[in-house]
Amino acid sequence: MVEAPVIWKLGWCSLVNDDMRRFVEGRGQFVDDLHFPNMLHLKVVRSPYARARVLKVEGGINGSELHFNLSGVGEGGGWQDSSGIQAVDHPVLASKYVNYVGQPVAAVIGEDPYAATDMMEEVYVEYETLKPVLDPEEALHSEPIHPNLKSNIITSLQVGKDFNLPNSPVQLEEELVNERITPNPIEPRGLVAHYDGSKLTVWASTQSVHSWKEGICESMGLSSEKVRVIQVDTGGAFGCKSAVYPEYVVACYASMKTRRPVKWIETRSEHLRASNQGRGAKAKVKIFADATGVVHGLKADLLIDGGAYPVGIGAYAPRWIAYQLTGPYAIRHAFVNGKSVYTNKAPMGPYRGAGRPEVAFILERMMDLLADNLGMDPVEVRLRNTSNEPFVSPLGPRIDPFRPFLESAVRELDYHNRTQTGHVGFSCFVLVPAVQPGESARIAVSGGKVKVWMGTCSHGQGHEVFARLLVSEELGVPEASIDVEKGDTDQLDEGIGTWGSRSVIVGGGALLQACKKIKDEFKTRLGKYDPEQLLKHEFDASVFYSRLKPLNSFGANLVSAHADELGEIRIDECMAYYDVGRALNPAMIESQIMGGSAQGIGQVLYEEAKYDEEGQLLAATIADAGLTRAHHMPNFTIKLAANTSSPHQPRGVGESATMGVPPAAIRAIEKITGEKLTRTPIRPESISPKEPSR
Amino acid sequence: MSRHHISVTVNENKHEADVDSRMLLVHFIRETLGLTGAHIGCDTSDCGACTVILDGKAVKSCTVLAVQADGKALLTVEGLAKDGRLHPVQEGFLEKHSIQCGFCTPGMLMASYWLLQRKPNPTEEEIREVISGNLCRCTGYVKIVEAVQYTAQKMSGMDIQS
Repeated sequence: MVEAPVIWKLGWCSLVNDDMRRFVEGRGQFVDDLHFPNMLHLKVVRSPYARARVLKVEGGINGSELHFNLSGVGEGGGWQDSSGIQAVDHPVLASKYVNYVGQPVAAVIGEDPYAATDMMEEVYVEYETLKPVLDPEEALHSEPIHPNLKSNIITSLQVGKDFNLPNSPVQLEEELVNERITPNPIEPRGLVAHYDGSKLTVWASTQSVHSWKEGICESMGLSSEKVRVIQVDTGGAFGCKSAVYPEYVVACYASMKTRRPVKWIETRSEHLRASNQGRGAKAKVKIFADATGVVHGLKADLLIDGGAYPVGIGAYAPRWIAYQLTGPYAIRHAFVNGKSVYTNKAPMGPYRGAGRPEVAFILERMMDLLADNLGMDPVEVRLRNTSNEPFVSPLGPRIDPFRPFLESAVRELDYHNRTQTGHVGFSCFVLVPAVQPGESARIAVSGGKVKVWMGTCSHGQGHEVFARLLVSEELGVPEASIDVEKGDTDQLDEGIGTWGSRSVIVGGGALLQACKKIKDEFKTRLGKYDPEQLLKHEFDASVFYSRLKPLNSFGANLVSAHADELGEIRIDECMAYYDVGRALNPAMIESQIMGGSAQGIGQVLYEEAKYDEEGQLLAATIADAGLTRAHHMPNFTIKLAANTSSPHQPRGVGESATMGVPPAAIRAIEKITGEKLTRTPIRPESISPKEPSR
Repeated sequence: MSRHHISVTVNENKHEADVDSRMLLVHFIRETLGLTGAHIGCDTSDCGACTVILDGKAVKSCTVLAVQADGKALLTVEGLAKDGRLHPVQEGFLEKHSIQCGFCTPGMLMASYWLLQRKPNPTEEEIREVISGNLCRCTGYVKIVEAVQYTAQKMSGMDIQS
């Protein structure tokens, strides 16, 4: 289905297999696999209450000795003017108030994990419980959960210009909701910290060694040269391993206190309660259209459930979602009120897509509902709102001409035939990869080998494949001579990380820039460039590739579904047509699309981080969290468009399926039930398929 | 707490050890024996990352006690390859690009191995049913199913269709 580049046929597969062989032999080096002599094991005592005053903490390492905080602006904070944010720091260990079930209060360190677990019993905490604030709407008006703040509003802003279109013949209003989801990588979070008296070294399961280093230095007041963060094999992340969490700081502190290596490995029940959760967005949307299906204006009130502390993207999400809210469509007027609020839940953080899937869900739902209202074909409505020219959204982004892509998507996905039978949903989107501010890379040539580092931190995306391919092409050296190293802040001074469908674009761009620097240096030192000579000499080049111009990555999905004899919804087929630009690693692209689709299907049918009225999480195990399993998965047809972009031509794909699959799947299910669907997940009890539908 | 002397044959080698009554089999394998292929993903036998073969049966070693393995034979992912040659199921996972982050891989391999021992030519539905006890958050399972199909063909001596 995906055409392989020539390099594939030249033995590329054997190198991929070498990279992966350690995993099939059980030789992966994940953080819990690290064993150091004299190592201690850390366990965290957590709040059992959603909201309480802490009256007394006795035993363990607690807030009376450890006073560190995590910054209350969170990820993405630098992207916007932070003046409009009501920030509050997240105490590493709570000593006055706790604000979510699972919030760290104390920590113990034992000689082995069993001993440490026993020691948790020796920590005594006295709480005075308070009524938690859980509903974001209620949070807008209720007393602030943080006593030093004026309200529960983290941020409140407007994007675009208000407008009036009183004569629009069609004015459609809807409330759309994406409930919260726990990222749930199969490897939970974890680290080993070791302070040897002069330097703190941290082995991390992470998406970004540099953001960990920055967070640890900032929280603990350590200077940059005191801290080194090294990435080990990282068992998935999906957004939750990008930033620094309280447990990391406690483990570092414990190692500095004991001068021994300290390991902390999250349990799954800790992950469910205390890792940042994603989504959690509600939108009241109104579109103003004419009778031909052209949308002239869009207004939206966004409300983001930011959780207890803005350490994830709670402060950033409203602006980021608002910015994208006309999607790929040429909608002339748009105005968004965005708010995020504090609630007594785990902090809101990035989860695969981080705002992008929320946008696609909101827009695509409105397009389908507009089509129903006008009795038009949903794709025809979408086509009416596309342009053959570049379009600058009133909300900010510049969108490439979308109409040509949509027309090919309709053909490639065989839309008109497919909609003749069965229950089918169609969706399309524009993915805006997180290319800013760019990325770093370093290439060192020595002893006939080329070593490569990037500021991105691969954790299941196979960066070594595209890195080898690009460096080999650019330097003209054999792929087998190239070693792609893991993230290490001592090897690379600066760097950003892996998220936002960015790595191949900016990590790759940085590599090419480093290659160019090496070739230039070669010419200065040795004359005409010669790859064989390169390998006989020593070179070392580091760069930061500044990529400021946003990119568009278009996609479309077609999903079909049926209800079985018990009324359970089954997704039958998932078709994708995505513009990935140059496909540097086709097998991985397919896998990213299918894996992202599994998460999209999970969001629609199974997954929710649901709390009860006391603020207790209702998922006690990973089974309750609702991850898709092998028997839930549909058949796939994947087609790639290859509209290349400069300089090395990929467009990013990691989050595409989490944008495209939910709205298409929801539409297919709507076709089965005949009832309007406005939220994810769709609970089985909330729908009533009339009869087995296939 | 009481200690117990246990004797377990692990990947065809006999190991003896004194263990606490409460020690989980997965900790015995990982911490005592130092075989870190079996992973801990959930603690509640839902994710299957810790799957190993105990006396011929696939078990989730996070919910089996080490003492329950006394006198039994254990096969872990480290024991699949023989004399440096990968088992066909390991080859299948490499050939079919069934790995992203690699964390669920050892458990998936052991569940697939167990299925193929019992049923050399499973249907796609049977493969999906068996690996439904193992969670993968990266791949969407498709390429894992393809790997098991590839392995079944290879083990039965059939020509592999790519």
